[in-house]
Amino acid sequence: MTTAEESPGTASLRLLATGERELQRIVLDMHDGPVQDLFAAMSHLQLLERELAAQPEAQRRTQQSIHLLERALGEIRTLIGVFRPPGFERRDLGAILEGLVVQHEALTDQSVELTLDPALGDCPLPTKIALYRILQEALANSHRHAAATRQTVTVERTGAQFALTVSDDGRGFESRRVLAAEADVGVEGGHFGLRGIQDRVGMLGGTFTIESAPGRGTTLRVTLPAA
Amino acid sequence: MMIRICLADDHAIVLEGLRALVDGEPDMTVVGATTDGDAVEALVRREAPDVLVLDYELGGRRAPEVIQALRQGEQVPRILILTAYHDGETIRSALESGAEGLALKTASPQQTLSAIRQVMAGQLVFPQAARRWLEARQASRSDEVTAREREVWGLIAEGLTNVQIAERLALSENTVKFHVQHLFQKLGVKNRTEAALRHATSGRVPRGPTTG
Repeated sequence: MTTAEESPGTASLRLLATGERELQRIVLDMHDGPVQDLFAAMSHLQLLERELAAQPEAQRRTQQSIHLLERALGEIRTLIGVFRPPGFERRDLGAILEGLVVQHEALTDQSVELTLDPALGDCPLPTKIALYRILQEALANSHRHAAATRQTVTVERTGAQFALTVSDDGRGFESRRVLAAEADVGVEGGHFGLRGIQDRVGMLGGTFTIESAPGRGTTLRVTLPAA
Repeated sequence: MMIRICLADDHAIVLEGLRALVDGEPDMTVVGATTDGDAVEALVRREAPDVLVLDYELGGRRAPEVIQALRQGEQVPRILILTAYHDGETIRSALESGAEGLALKTASPQQTLSAIRQVMAGQLVFPQAARRWLEARQASRSDEVTAREREVWGLIAEGLTNVQIAERLALSENTVKFHVQHLFQKLGVKNRTEAALRHATSGRVPRGPTTG
């Protein structure tokens, strides 16, 4: 059997791409089904709500239903935003990272300063996926936990590797303690998803450092091989 | 004044809901609707609406492709793209397609109504986060096709390659590439075929200052 000869590393990398394709399918199902239904239902309800002006109680219930649907749609919006792969196979690294930053800004109203090396060049698919998902996690962390007002992202290519640096001016944390805690509880229970980032970096043979201290912001730096 | 609106979405339930909601507004009326991406141009030609609400993915056709086809026509309505996706690529391609705005299917339809009024009032309706691309679009809009680019454009329409154009105009191939790239950006086309097609109707695009 040919698959038996495959190294565990190659299999993991292939699974990474397969996982992204699965996500694509799930997001498409959400898009074609619930999103269209909810949007159509809300259109009808908003019209109905106006027609019920003479019946305050019925109008109130309709408004309540509208709010609930709006909330459900809002949650779907976030899920689609987080999970939908950005076309890894057809778009270059700079474009997908810039798109991610804009999406993050649109979702959070936070402003991100992005600096992209103009000569990023070709990027292997597993590295591209990893850089995207790591940046996504880092931006989300700094929004969720750090109460940062300013985030900066730099992506560079230096010879045979890509370097991603994400900094914020948030409240910071004791990185050693958090990393140790995450090592015990695994990805699911992790506070900061740092474990997930470490796993991705480890799989590709890259490096990962995080500098943070309470009150001093956080800087995360990842390097990954370019080939 | 009534805003005359056409709706194009391949989800019939969305069309039905949106149509009812729009028609319930005192200042708006739906004058036409279609679920067929290939029928949009004919619908717009027939109804000449003020605003076209266009699903980003209409069957096999995407909004930018539909918009490009519409721009070949005499009358181009203001266009509001409706989409469930608010990722960078969708926002950017909506902006670059020349649409006036973007409304989300994952937000309240009430916001779609507001966006229709905003584009009707001449505003561009995009997320604040897209400002970096918005600025670029405004800059490129003020850029007219230069005389040299127009010359290159004419030769592309004749079917010449970059090398042949370079020879004809006594320029280096790199310079030609540079002009071609800028020309495509200004015209909003992706390739030579599209540029050539556009050349046939070039009376409707910005002219260079020294052409004649």
